[in-house]
Amino acid sequence: MGRSKELILSIVGIIIVGALLFPIYWMIVSSFKVQGEIFQMPPTLIPNDWYVEGYTSQLSGALGRSFINSLIVAISSMAIVVVLAIPASYGLARYPVPGKKWMILFFLVTQMLPVTVVLTPLFILFKKMALLNSLAAPILATATLGIPFSVLILRTYFLNAPKELEDAAMIDGCNRFTAFLRIMIPISYPGIIVSATFSFLFAWGDLIYSMTFISNSAMWPLTAGVYNSMGKYGIQWNNLLSFATITVLPVLAMFIVLQRYIISGLTNGAVK
Amino acid sequence: MELNKRNLLISLAYVVPALIFMLVLIGYPLFYNVKISFQHLDLMSLNNPDIAFAGLENYRKVIGLDSFHIAFKNTFFFTFWSIFLQFTIGFALALFFNMKFRLAGFLRGLTLVSYLVPIVITSLLFKFMFNQSVGIINYILLSIGFVDQPIEWLTHPELAMWSVIIANVWVGAPFNMMLLSTGLSSLPDDIYEAASIDGANKFKQFMYMTLPMLRPVIMIVIMMGFIFTFKVFDLIFVMTAGGPVNATEVLSTLAYKLSFDQFNFSQGAAASNILFLILFIVSLIYLRMVRSDEVM
Repeated sequence: MGRSKELILSIVGIIIVGALLFPIYWMIVSSFKVQGEIFQMPPTLIPNDWYVEGYTSQLSGALGRSFINSLIVAISSMAIVVVLAIPASYGLARYPVPGKKWMILFFLVTQMLPVTVVLTPLFILFKKMALLNSLAAPILATATLGIPFSVLILRTYFLNAPKELEDAAMIDGCNRFTAFLRIMIPISYPGIIVSATFSFLFAWGDLIYSMTFISNSAMWPLTAGVYNSMGKYGIQWNNLLSFATITVLPVLAMFIVLQRYIISGLTNGAVK
Repeated sequence: MELNKRNLLISLAYVVPALIFMLVLIGYPLFYNVKISFQHLDLMSLNNPDIAFAGLENYRKVIGLDSFHIAFKNTFFFTFWSIFLQFTIGFALALFFNMKFRLAGFLRGLTLVSYLVPIVITSLLFKFMFNQSVGIINYILLSIGFVDQPIEWLTHPELAMWSVIIANVWVGAPFNMMLLSTGLSSLPDDIYEAASIDGANKFKQFMYMTLPMLRPVIMIVIMMGFIFTFKVFDLIFVMTAGGPVNATEVLSTLAYKLSFDQFNFSQGAAASNILFLILFIVSLIYLRMVRSDEVM
Protein backbone atom coordinates (compact mmCIF):
# COMPACT_ATOMS: atom_id res chain seq x y z
CA MET A 1 0.00 0.00 0.00
CA GLY A 2 1.32 3.43 -0.94
CA ARG A 3 2.39 5.88 1.74
CA SER A 4 -0.21 8.49 0.86
CA LYS A 5 -3.02 5.97 0.69
CA GLU A 6 -2.01 4.65 4.10
CA LEU A 7 -2.07 8.20 5.46
CA ILE A 8 -5.48 9.01 3.98
CA LEU A 9 -7.01 5.79 5.29
CA SER A 10 -5.57 6.44 8.75
CA ILE A 11 -7.00 9.96 8.84
CA VAL A 12 -10.42 8.81 7.65
CA GLY A 13 -10.30 6.00 10.21
CA ILE A 14 -9.49 8.39 13.03
CA ILE A 15 -12.33 10.71 11.99
CA ILE A 16 -14.80 7.80 11.94
CA VAL A 17 -13.76 6.54 15.36
CA GLY A 18 -13.74 10.09 16.72
CA ALA A 19 -17.31 10.62 15.53
CA LEU A 20 -18.46 7.28 16.95
CA LEU A 21 -16.90 7.90 20.34
CA PHE A 22 -17.86 11.56 20.49
CA PRO A 23 -20.86 10.92 22.80
CA ILE A 24 -18.52 9.53 25.45
CA TYR A 25 -16.19 12.51 25.15
CA TRP A 26 -19.22 14.79 25.34
CA MET A 27 -20.43 13.11 28.51
CA ILE A 28 -17.06 13.53 30.22
CA VAL A 29 -16.49 17.20 29.30
CA SER A 30 -20.07 18.17 30.06
CA SER A 31 -19.74 16.66 33.53
CA PHE A 32 -17.01 19.26 34.20
CA LYS A 33 -19.05 22.26 33.06
CA VAL A 34 -21.05 24.60 35.25
CA GLN A 35 -24.76 24.45 34.56
CA GLY A 36 -24.69 27.79 32.73
CA GLU A 37 -22.02 26.60 30.33
CA ILE A 38 -24.02 23.49 29.47
CA PHE A 39 -26.83 25.75 28.28
CA GLN A 40 -24.45 28.06 26.41
CA MET A 41 -24.73 28.22 22.61
CA PRO A 42 -22.45 27.62 20.80
CA PRO A 43 -21.37 24.81 23.11
CA THR A 44 -17.75 24.67 24.26
CA LEU A 45 -15.63 21.63 23.41
CA ILE A 46 -13.50 22.16 26.53
CA PRO A 47 -14.96 23.65 29.73
CA ASN A 48 -14.14 27.35 30.35
CA ASP A 49 -14.47 26.91 34.10
CA TRP A 50 -13.72 23.47 35.40
CA TYR A 51 -16.54 22.35 37.67
CA VAL A 52 -15.53 19.40 39.85
CA GLU A 53 -18.28 19.52 42.46
CA GLY A 54 -20.33 17.03 40.45
CA TYR A 55 -17.69 14.59 41.63
CA THR A 56 -16.46 15.95 44.96
CA SER A 57 -19.83 16.74 46.48
CA GLN A 58 -21.43 13.48 45.38
CA LEU A 59 -18.58 11.05 46.05
CA SER A 60 -19.08 11.21 49.80
CA GLY A 61 -22.82 10.67 49.35
CA ALA A 62 -25.00 8.77 46.91
CA LEU A 63 -22.35 8.41 44.22
CA GLY A 64 -19.74 6.83 46.49
CA ARG A 65 -22.23 4.50 48.12
CA SER A 66 -23.64 3.41 44.77
CA PHE A 67 -20.15 2.76 43.47
CA ILE A 68 -19.47 0.37 46.35
CA ASN A 69 -22.85 -1.33 45.79
CA SER A 70 -22.07 -1.76 42.09
CA LEU A 71 -18.69 -3.26 42.91
CA ILE A 72 -20.21 -5.71 45.40
CA VAL A 73 -22.91 -6.77 42.94
CA ALA A 74 -20.55 -7.14 39.97
CA ILE A 75 -17.76 -8.95 41.83
CA SER A 76 -20.09 -11.34 43.67
CA SER A 77 -22.02 -12.12 40.52
CA MET A 78 -18.77 -12.74 38.67
CA ALA A 79 -17.55 -15.06 41.43
CA ILE A 80 -20.75 -17.13 41.34
CA VAL A 81 -20.55 -17.39 37.56
CA VAL A 82 -16.91 -18.48 37.52
CA VAL A 83 -17.35 -21.05 40.30
CA LEU A 84 -20.42 -22.62 38.69
CA ALA A 85 -19.62 -22.26 35.00
CA ILE A 86 -16.07 -23.66 34.95
CA PRO A 87 -16.95 -27.15 36.19
CA ALA A 88 -20.22 -27.21 34.24
CA SER A 89 -18.53 -26.35 30.96
CA TYR A 90 -15.77 -28.88 31.63
CA GLY A 91 -18.33 -31.58 32.40
CA LEU A 92 -20.26 -30.80 29.21
CA ALA A 93 -17.04 -30.84 27.17
CA ARG A 94 -15.43 -33.98 28.57
CA TYR A 95 -18.16 -36.33 29.81
CA PRO A 96 -21.08 -37.94 28.02
CA VAL A 97 -23.51 -36.36 30.49
CA PRO A 98 -27.03 -37.71 30.03
CA GLY A 99 -29.33 -35.07 28.53
CA LYS A 100 -26.33 -33.02 27.40
CA LYS A 101 -28.08 -31.83 24.26
CA TRP A 102 -31.00 -30.48 26.28
CA MET A 103 -28.78 -28.79 28.81
CA ILE A 104 -26.90 -26.96 26.08
CA LEU A 105 -30.18 -25.98 24.45
CA PHE A 106 -31.43 -24.71 27.81
CA PHE A 107 -28.32 -22.54 28.27
CA LEU A 108 -28.65 -21.22 24.72
CA VAL A 109 -32.31 -20.33 25.11
CA THR A 110 -31.81 -18.57 28.45
CA GLN A 111 -29.47 -16.17 26.68
CA MET A 112 -32.30 -15.15 24.40
CA LEU A 113 -34.95 -14.67 27.08
CA PRO A 114 -36.57 -11.26 27.33
CA VAL A 115 -36.01 -9.98 30.85
CA THR A 116 -39.71 -9.31 31.50
CA VAL A 117 -40.48 -13.05 31.34
CA VAL A 118 -38.58 -13.78 34.55
CA LEU A 119 -39.00 -10.46 36.30
CA THR A 120 -42.35 -11.00 38.06
CA PRO A 121 -41.62 -14.61 39.08
CA LEU A 122 -38.20 -13.61 40.42
CA PHE A 123 -39.76 -10.72 42.29
CA ILE A 124 -42.21 -13.11 43.97
CA LEU A 125 -39.49 -15.72 44.58
CA PHE A 126 -37.14 -13.20 46.17
CA LYS A 127 -40.01 -11.85 48.23
CA LYS A 128 -40.62 -15.34 49.64
CA MET A 129 -36.92 -15.78 50.30
CA ALA A 130 -36.78 -12.34 51.99
CA LEU A 131 -34.13 -11.21 49.52
CA LEU A 132 -35.90 -8.08 48.28
CA ASN A 133 -34.05 -4.90 49.21
CA SER A 134 -30.77 -6.74 49.54
CA LEU A 135 -27.85 -6.84 47.12
CA ALA A 136 -28.28 -10.62 46.98
CA ALA A 137 -31.28 -10.16 44.68
CA PRO A 138 -29.44 -8.44 41.79
CA ILE A 139 -26.36 -10.62 42.43
CA LEU A 140 -28.33 -13.84 41.92
CA ALA A 141 -30.37 -12.43 39.05
CA THR A 142 -27.40 -11.08 37.08
CA ALA A 143 -25.47 -14.34 37.57
CA THR A 144 -28.13 -15.95 35.38
CA LEU A 145 -26.89 -13.73 32.54
CA GLY A 146 -23.26 -14.72 32.99
CA ILE A 147 -23.67 -18.46 33.52
CA PRO A 148 -25.10 -19.49 30.12
CA PHE A 149 -22.69 -17.18 28.29
CA SER A 150 -19.72 -18.59 30.24
CA VAL A 151 -20.72 -22.24 30.04
CA LEU A 152 -21.02 -22.04 26.26
CA ILE A 153 -17.81 -20.04 25.78
CA LEU A 154 -15.71 -22.14 28.18
CA ARG A 155 -17.00 -25.38 26.76
CA THR A 156 -15.37 -24.59 23.42
CA TYR A 157 -12.09 -23.86 25.23
CA PHE A 158 -12.21 -27.20 27.03
CA LEU A 159 -13.21 -28.99 23.82
CA ASN A 160 -10.17 -27.55 22.10
CA ALA A 161 -7.73 -28.14 24.97
CA PRO A 162 -5.35 -31.02 24.19
CA LYS A 163 -6.61 -34.16 25.87
CA GLU A 164 -3.07 -35.61 25.89
CA LEU A 165 -2.01 -33.15 28.59
CA GLU A 166 -4.76 -34.42 30.85
CA ASP A 167 -3.85 -38.03 30.15
CA ALA A 168 -0.18 -37.31 30.88
CA ALA A 169 -1.12 -35.69 34.19
CA MET A 170 -3.13 -38.74 35.13
CA ILE A 171 -0.19 -41.03 34.37
CA ASP A 172 1.88 -38.78 36.63
CA GLY A 173 -0.46 -39.48 39.51
CA CYS A 174 -3.24 -36.92 39.19
CA ASN A 175 -6.78 -38.16 39.22
CA ARG A 176 -9.23 -36.67 36.79
CA PHE A 177 -10.33 -33.99 39.20
CA THR A 178 -6.83 -32.81 40.15
CA ALA A 179 -5.90 -32.94 36.48
CA PHE A 180 -8.86 -30.64 35.86
CA LEU A 181 -7.75 -28.27 38.61
CA ARG A 182 -4.01 -28.23 37.87
CA ILE A 183 -3.88 -28.67 34.11
CA MET A 184 -7.18 -27.84 32.41
CA ILE A 185 -8.07 -24.67 34.31
CA PRO A 186 -4.63 -23.07 33.86
CA ILE A 187 -4.42 -23.80 30.15
CA SER A 188 -7.94 -22.49 29.58
CA TYR A 189 -7.29 -19.20 31.37
CA PRO A 190 -8.03 -16.98 28.35
CA GLY A 191 -11.54 -18.41 28.29
CA ILE A 192 -11.88 -17.91 32.02
CA ILE A 193 -10.83 -14.26 31.68
CA VAL A 194 -13.42 -13.77 28.93
CA SER A 195 -16.10 -15.33 31.08
CA ALA A 196 -15.16 -13.37 34.21
CA THR A 197 -14.98 -10.08 32.27
CA PHE A 198 -18.37 -10.49 30.68
CA SER A 199 -20.01 -11.65 33.90
CA PHE A 200 -18.66 -8.55 35.58
CA LEU A 201 -19.90 -6.30 32.76
CA PHE A 202 -23.37 -7.90 32.66
CA ALA A 203 -23.79 -7.30 36.38
CA TRP A 204 -22.22 -3.84 36.28
CA GLY A 205 -24.61 -2.72 33.53
CA ASP A 206 -27.76 -4.18 35.07
CA LEU A 207 -30.54 -1.71 35.71
CA ILE A 208 -33.82 -3.56 35.61
CA TYR A 209 -33.11 -6.18 38.29
CA SER A 210 -31.68 -3.70 40.79
CA MET A 211 -34.44 -1.23 40.10
CA THR A 212 -37.21 -3.80 40.51
CA PHE A 213 -35.85 -5.68 43.51
CA ILE A 214 -34.43 -2.79 45.51
CA SER A 215 -36.50 0.18 46.63
CA ASN A 216 -34.09 1.41 49.30
CA SER A 217 -31.92 4.06 47.67
CA ALA A 218 -28.97 3.31 49.97
CA MET A 219 -28.70 -0.12 48.31
CA TRP A 220 -28.83 1.09 44.71
CA PRO A 221 -25.95 0.38 42.35
CA LEU A 222 -24.75 3.18 40.05
CA THR A 223 -27.16 2.30 37.24
CA ALA A 224 -30.23 2.52 39.45
CA GLY A 225 -28.83 5.69 41.03
CA VAL A 226 -28.40 7.31 37.61
CA TYR A 227 -31.85 6.24 36.51
CA ASN A 228 -33.55 7.63 39.59
CA SER A 229 -31.55 10.86 39.50
CA MET A 230 -32.79 11.45 35.96
CA GLY A 231 -36.27 12.04 37.26
CA LYS A 232 -35.24 13.72 40.46
CA TYR A 233 -32.67 16.25 39.32
CA GLY A 234 -34.54 16.89 36.10
CA ILE A 235 -32.04 19.08 34.39
CA GLN A 236 -28.97 19.10 36.65
CA TRP A 237 -27.02 17.71 33.76
CA ASN A 238 -23.51 18.19 35.11
CA ASN A 239 -24.12 16.20 38.30
CA LEU A 240 -25.99 13.54 36.40
CA LEU A 241 -23.21 13.24 33.83
CA SER A 242 -20.54 12.92 36.51
CA PHE A 243 -22.57 10.05 37.91
CA ALA A 244 -22.63 8.56 34.41
CA THR A 245 -18.90 9.11 33.90
CA ILE A 246 -18.08 7.26 37.12
CA THR A 247 -20.29 4.40 35.93
CA VAL A 248 -18.48 4.19 32.60
CA LEU A 249 -14.89 4.56 33.87
CA PRO A 250 -14.43 0.98 35.14
CA VAL A 251 -15.82 -0.27 31.82
CA LEU A 252 -13.31 1.86 29.91
CA ALA A 253 -10.48 0.68 32.17
CA MET A 254 -11.43 -2.95 31.65
CA PHE A 255 -11.68 -2.38 27.93
CA ILE A 256 -8.17 -0.94 27.76
CA VAL A 257 -6.61 -3.77 29.79
CA LEU A 258 -8.69 -6.68 28.47
CA GLN A 259 -9.48 -5.59 24.92
CA ARG A 260 -8.14 -8.80 23.35
CA TYR A 261 -10.31 -10.99 25.56
CA ILE A 262 -13.39 -8.81 25.14
CA ILE A 263 -13.19 -8.96 21.35
CA SER A 264 -12.70 -12.71 21.37
CA GLY A 265 -15.65 -13.08 23.77
CA LEU A 266 -17.92 -11.02 21.54
CA THR A 267 -17.07 -12.86 18.34
CA ASN A 268 -16.97 -16.37 19.83
CA GLY A 269 -19.98 -15.82 22.04
CA ALA A 270 -21.99 -14.84 19.01
CA VAL A 271 -21.07 -17.42 16.48
CA LYS A 272 -20.38 -20.47 18.60
CA MET B 1 -15.56 -42.35 27.46
CA GLU B 2 -17.78 -45.13 28.59
CA LEU B 3 -20.75 -44.21 30.74
CA ASN B 4 -20.50 -46.43 33.79
CA LYS B 5 -22.17 -45.57 37.05
CA ARG B 6 -19.09 -43.90 38.53
CA ASN B 7 -18.50 -41.71 35.50
CA LEU B 8 -22.15 -40.78 35.44
CA LEU B 9 -22.02 -39.52 39.02
CA ILE B 10 -18.79 -37.63 38.43
CA SER B 11 -20.07 -36.00 35.27
CA LEU B 12 -23.25 -34.93 37.06
CA ALA B 13 -21.23 -33.47 39.94
CA TYR B 14 -19.56 -31.08 37.50
CA VAL B 15 -22.75 -29.97 35.78
CA VAL B 16 -25.46 -30.10 38.42
CA PRO B 17 -24.59 -27.03 40.55
CA ALA B 18 -24.83 -24.64 37.59
CA LEU B 19 -27.88 -26.45 36.31
CA ILE B 20 -29.73 -26.23 39.62
CA PHE B 21 -28.87 -22.54 39.92
CA MET B 22 -30.29 -21.87 36.45
CA LEU B 23 -33.32 -24.10 36.93
CA VAL B 24 -34.27 -22.30 40.14
CA LEU B 25 -33.68 -18.77 38.88
CA ILE B 26 -34.67 -19.14 35.20
CA GLY B 27 -36.42 -22.47 34.67
CA TYR B 28 -38.88 -22.11 37.51
CA PRO B 29 -39.67 -18.43 36.73
CA LEU B 30 -40.32 -19.36 33.11
CA PHE B 31 -42.75 -22.07 34.18
CA TYR B 32 -44.30 -19.79 36.80
CA ASN B 33 -44.82 -17.05 34.25
CA VAL B 34 -46.75 -19.44 32.01
CA LYS B 35 -48.78 -20.55 35.02
CA ILE B 36 -49.82 -17.07 36.16
CA SER B 37 -50.70 -16.08 32.61
CA PHE B 38 -53.57 -18.58 32.93
CA GLN B 39 -54.73 -17.22 36.28
CA HIS B 40 -55.90 -13.93 37.75
CA LEU B 41 -52.95 -12.68 39.74
CA ASP B 42 -52.85 -9.09 40.91
CA LEU B 43 -51.76 -7.26 44.02
CA MET B 44 -54.88 -8.42 45.86
CA SER B 45 -54.55 -12.13 45.09
CA LEU B 46 -50.75 -12.20 45.48
CA ASN B 47 -51.01 -13.66 48.96
CA ASN B 48 -54.12 -15.67 48.23
CA PRO B 49 -53.21 -19.31 47.49
CA ASP B 50 -56.47 -20.15 45.72
CA ILE B 51 -56.00 -18.69 42.29
CA ALA B 52 -58.59 -19.81 39.77
CA PHE B 53 -57.79 -21.02 36.29
CA ALA B 54 -58.62 -18.32 33.79
CA GLY B 55 -58.02 -20.13 30.52
CA LEU B 56 -56.97 -17.90 27.68
CA GLU B 57 -58.74 -14.85 29.06
CA ASN B 58 -55.55 -12.90 29.83
CA TYR B 59 -54.22 -13.54 26.35
CA ARG B 60 -57.51 -12.47 24.80
CA LYS B 61 -57.59 -9.30 26.89
CA VAL B 62 -53.99 -8.39 26.18
CA ILE B 63 -54.31 -8.98 22.46
CA GLY B 64 -57.45 -6.84 22.51
CA LEU B 65 -55.67 -3.85 24.07
CA ASP B 66 -55.05 -0.89 21.79
CA SER B 67 -51.68 -0.46 23.42
CA PHE B 68 -50.80 -4.05 22.49
CA HIS B 69 -51.44 -3.38 18.81
CA ILE B 70 -49.32 -0.28 18.97
CA ALA B 71 -46.54 -2.02 20.91
CA PHE B 72 -46.58 -4.96 18.51
CA LYS B 73 -46.24 -2.69 15.49
CA ASN B 74 -43.62 -0.53 17.21
CA THR B 75 -41.51 -3.54 18.18
CA PHE B 76 -41.32 -4.64 14.55
CA PHE B 77 -40.69 -1.10 13.30
CA PHE B 78 -37.93 -0.57 15.86
CA THR B 79 -36.38 -3.96 15.12
CA PHE B 80 -36.49 -3.62 11.34
CA TRP B 81 -34.92 -0.17 11.17
CA SER B 82 -32.39 -0.86 13.92
CA ILE B 83 -31.16 -3.97 12.14
CA PHE B 84 -31.23 -2.38 8.71
CA LEU B 85 -29.18 0.62 9.85
CA GLN B 86 -26.77 -1.15 12.18
CA PHE B 87 -26.11 -3.84 9.60
CA THR B 88 -25.52 -1.37 6.77
CA ILE B 89 -23.30 0.88 8.86
CA GLY B 90 -21.56 -2.09 10.45
CA PHE B 91 -20.87 -3.62 7.04
CA ALA B 92 -19.51 -0.36 5.66
CA LEU B 93 -17.21 -0.03 8.66
CA ALA B 94 -16.11 -3.66 8.37
CA LEU B 95 -15.20 -3.15 4.70
CA PHE B 96 -13.35 0.06 5.52
CA PHE B 97 -11.31 -1.45 8.36
CA ASN B 98 -10.67 -4.54 6.28
CA MET B 99 -8.34 -2.42 4.11
CA LYS B 100 -5.07 -3.30 5.65
CA PHE B 101 -3.67 0.03 6.88
CA ARG B 102 -1.57 0.01 10.00
CA LEU B 103 -4.07 1.57 12.44
CA ALA B 104 -7.02 -0.50 11.18
CA GLY B 105 -7.06 -3.15 13.89
CA PHE B 106 -6.55 -0.66 16.70
CA LEU B 107 -9.26 1.73 15.51
CA ARG B 108 -11.71 -1.07 14.83
CA GLY B 109 -11.27 -2.33 18.39
CA LEU B 110 -11.90 1.12 19.84
CA THR B 111 -15.36 1.41 18.30
CA LEU B 112 -16.53 -1.48 20.48
CA VAL B 113 -16.50 0.80 23.52
CA SER B 114 -20.01 1.94 22.60
CA TYR B 115 -21.23 -1.65 22.82
CA LEU B 116 -19.89 -2.05 26.35
CA VAL B 117 -21.23 1.16 27.92
CA PRO B 118 -24.10 0.24 30.29
CA ILE B 119 -27.37 0.79 28.43
CA VAL B 120 -28.77 3.17 31.03
CA ILE B 121 -25.77 5.46 30.45
CA THR B 122 -26.18 5.26 26.67
CA SER B 123 -29.82 6.22 27.11
CA LEU B 124 -28.93 9.15 29.36
CA LEU B 125 -26.28 10.32 26.89
CA PHE B 126 -28.65 10.28 23.95
CA LYS B 127 -31.33 11.96 26.02
CA PHE B 128 -28.80 14.68 26.71
CA MET B 129 -27.72 15.00 23.09
CA PHE B 130 -31.29 14.92 21.73
CA ASN B 131 -32.49 17.41 24.35
CA GLN B 132 -34.43 20.21 22.70
CA SER B 133 -32.68 23.10 24.40
CA VAL B 134 -29.22 21.89 25.51
CA GLY B 135 -28.77 19.08 23.01
CA ILE B 136 -25.78 19.20 20.71
CA ILE B 137 -27.67 17.48 17.89
CA ASN B 138 -30.09 20.39 17.53
CA TYR B 139 -27.17 22.81 17.74
CA ILE B 140 -25.40 21.05 14.86
CA LEU B 141 -28.56 20.84 12.74
CA LEU B 142 -29.34 24.53 13.37
CA SER B 143 -25.83 25.73 12.66
CA ILE B 144 -25.50 23.92 9.34
CA GLY B 145 -28.90 25.34 8.42
CA PHE B 146 -30.55 21.95 8.14
CA VAL B 147 -33.44 23.16 10.30
CA ASP B 148 -34.41 26.62 11.51
CA GLN B 149 -36.27 25.60 14.66
CA PRO B 150 -34.93 23.31 17.41
CA ILE B 151 -36.45 19.86 16.90
CA GLU B 152 -38.51 18.22 19.65
CA TRP B 153 -36.75 14.87 19.29
CA LEU B 154 -38.08 13.04 22.32
CA THR B 155 -41.47 14.66 22.67
CA HIS B 156 -42.61 14.30 19.06
CA PRO B 157 -44.17 10.84 18.53
CA GLU B 158 -42.45 9.91 15.27
CA LEU B 159 -39.13 11.52 16.10
CA ALA B 160 -39.04 9.85 19.51
CA MET B 161 -39.10 6.50 17.74
CA TRP B 162 -36.24 7.55 15.46
CA SER B 163 -34.29 8.84 18.46
CA VAL B 164 -34.37 5.47 20.20
CA ILE B 165 -33.53 3.73 16.92
CA ILE B 166 -30.50 5.99 16.45
CA ALA B 167 -29.30 5.32 20.00
CA ASN B 168 -29.74 1.61 19.45
CA VAL B 169 -27.81 1.71 16.18
CA TRP B 170 -24.94 3.45 18.00
CA VAL B 171 -24.79 0.46 20.33
CA GLY B 172 -25.27 -2.24 17.72
CA ALA B 173 -23.32 -1.09 14.65
CA PRO B 174 -19.82 -1.75 16.08
CA PHE B 175 -20.91 -5.21 17.20
CA ASN B 176 -22.22 -5.98 13.71
CA MET B 177 -18.96 -4.64 12.31
CA MET B 178 -16.89 -6.92 14.55
CA LEU B 179 -18.73 -10.08 13.48
CA LEU B 180 -18.66 -9.10 9.80
CA SER B 181 -14.95 -8.25 10.07
CA THR B 182 -14.23 -11.70 11.43
CA GLY B 183 -16.13 -13.13 8.48
CA LEU B 184 -14.31 -10.90 5.97
CA SER B 185 -10.89 -11.81 7.31
CA SER B 186 -11.61 -15.49 6.83
CA LEU B 187 -12.20 -15.07 3.06
CA PRO B 188 -9.28 -16.33 0.96
CA ASP B 189 -7.18 -13.58 -0.65
CA ASP B 190 -6.10 -15.52 -3.71
CA ILE B 191 -9.51 -15.67 -5.37
CA TYR B 192 -9.69 -11.85 -5.24
CA GLU B 193 -6.33 -11.68 -6.97
CA ALA B 194 -7.57 -14.11 -9.61
CA ALA B 195 -10.72 -12.04 -10.06
CA SER B 196 -8.77 -8.79 -10.53
CA ILE B 197 -6.58 -10.47 -13.12
CA ASP B 198 -9.74 -11.58 -14.90
CA GLY B 199 -10.89 -7.96 -14.93
CA ALA B 200 -13.62 -7.98 -12.27
CA ASN B 201 -13.81 -4.52 -10.65
CA LYS B 202 -14.24 -3.96 -6.91
CA PHE B 203 -18.00 -3.59 -7.14
CA LYS B 204 -18.38 -6.85 -9.05
CA GLN B 205 -16.04 -8.60 -6.64
CA PHE B 206 -18.21 -7.40 -3.77
CA MET B 207 -21.50 -8.41 -5.39
CA TYR B 208 -20.47 -11.75 -6.84
CA MET B 209 -17.79 -12.93 -4.40
CA THR B 210 -17.86 -11.21 -1.02
CA LEU B 211 -21.62 -11.23 -0.48
CA PRO B 212 -22.23 -14.87 -1.49
CA MET B 213 -19.25 -16.13 0.51
CA LEU B 214 -20.29 -14.13 3.59
CA ARG B 215 -23.88 -15.34 3.39
CA PRO B 216 -23.69 -17.62 6.47
CA VAL B 217 -22.12 -14.87 8.59
CA ILE B 218 -24.64 -12.30 7.34
CA MET B 219 -27.52 -14.59 8.26
CA ILE B 220 -26.11 -15.09 11.76
CA VAL B 221 -25.59 -11.35 12.28
CA ILE B 222 -29.15 -10.55 11.19
CA MET B 223 -30.77 -13.32 13.21
CA MET B 224 -28.80 -12.40 16.34
CA GLY B 225 -29.64 -8.78 15.71
CA PHE B 226 -33.30 -9.69 15.57
CA ILE B 227 -33.20 -11.64 18.83
CA PHE B 228 -31.40 -8.93 20.77
CA THR B 229 -33.28 -6.01 19.24
CA PHE B 230 -36.74 -7.51 19.48
CA LYS B 231 -36.45 -7.90 23.25
CA VAL B 232 -35.18 -4.33 23.77
CA PHE B 233 -36.13 -2.99 27.17
CA ASP B 234 -33.66 -0.78 29.08
CA LEU B 235 -32.93 1.60 26.23
CA ILE B 236 -36.55 2.54 25.59
CA PHE B 237 -37.53 2.34 29.23
CA VAL B 238 -34.91 4.92 30.18
CA MET B 239 -35.03 7.17 27.11
CA THR B 240 -38.78 7.56 26.62
CA ALA B 241 -40.51 5.05 28.94
CA GLY B 242 -42.61 4.13 25.92
CA GLY B 243 -43.81 7.69 25.38
CA PRO B 244 -44.81 10.25 24.32
CA VAL B 245 -48.20 8.60 25.01
CA ASN B 246 -47.28 5.20 23.54
CA ALA B 247 -45.34 6.24 20.48
CA THR B 248 -42.30 4.15 21.47
CA GLU B 249 -44.08 1.46 23.48
CA VAL B 250 -42.69 -1.98 22.67
CA LEU B 251 -43.82 -5.41 23.88
CA SER B 252 -41.31 -5.58 26.75
CA THR B 253 -42.12 -2.12 28.12
CA LEU B 254 -45.83 -2.87 27.81
CA ALA B 255 -45.39 -6.13 29.74
CA TYR B 256 -43.43 -4.28 32.40
CA LYS B 257 -46.12 -1.62 32.74
CA LEU B 258 -48.91 -4.16 33.02
CA SER B 259 -47.04 -5.98 35.79
CA PHE B 260 -45.33 -3.22 37.73
CA ASP B 261 -47.42 -0.09 37.12
CA GLN B 262 -50.88 -1.64 36.99
CA PHE B 263 -49.92 -4.70 39.10
CA ASN B 264 -51.88 -6.89 36.73
CA PHE B 265 -49.30 -9.68 36.91
CA SER B 266 -51.32 -12.12 34.83
CA GLN B 267 -51.76 -9.80 31.86
CA GLY B 268 -48.12 -8.76 32.14
CA ALA B 269 -47.15 -12.42 32.06
CA ALA B 270 -49.35 -13.03 29.03
CA ALA B 271 -47.77 -10.11 27.18
CA SER B 272 -44.23 -11.21 27.96
CA ASN B 273 -45.03 -14.80 26.98
CA ILE B 274 -46.20 -13.62 23.59
CA LEU B 275 -42.90 -11.76 23.23
CA PHE B 276 -41.02 -14.85 24.36
CA LEU B 277 -42.88 -17.13 21.96
CA ILE B 278 -41.87 -15.01 18.98
CA LEU B 279 -38.26 -14.94 20.18
CA PHE B 280 -38.26 -18.66 20.87
CA ILE B 281 -39.37 -19.53 17.35
CA VAL B 282 -36.75 -17.25 15.82
CA SER B 283 -34.11 -18.63 18.22
CA LEU B 284 -34.83 -22.21 17.16
CA ILE B 285 -34.48 -21.27 13.51
CA TYR B 286 -31.23 -19.51 14.37
CA LEU B 287 -29.87 -22.48 16.34
CA ARG B 288 -30.73 -24.82 13.52
CA MET B 289 -28.71 -22.60 11.17
CA VAL B 290 -25.65 -22.28 13.41
CA ARG B 291 -25.49 -25.61 15.08
CA SER B 292 -26.00 -28.00 12.21
CA ASP B 293 -22.35 -29.02 12.44
CA GLU B 294 -21.99 -29.14 16.22
CA VAL B 295 -23.93 -30.76 19.04
CA MET B 296 -27.44 -29.94 17.95
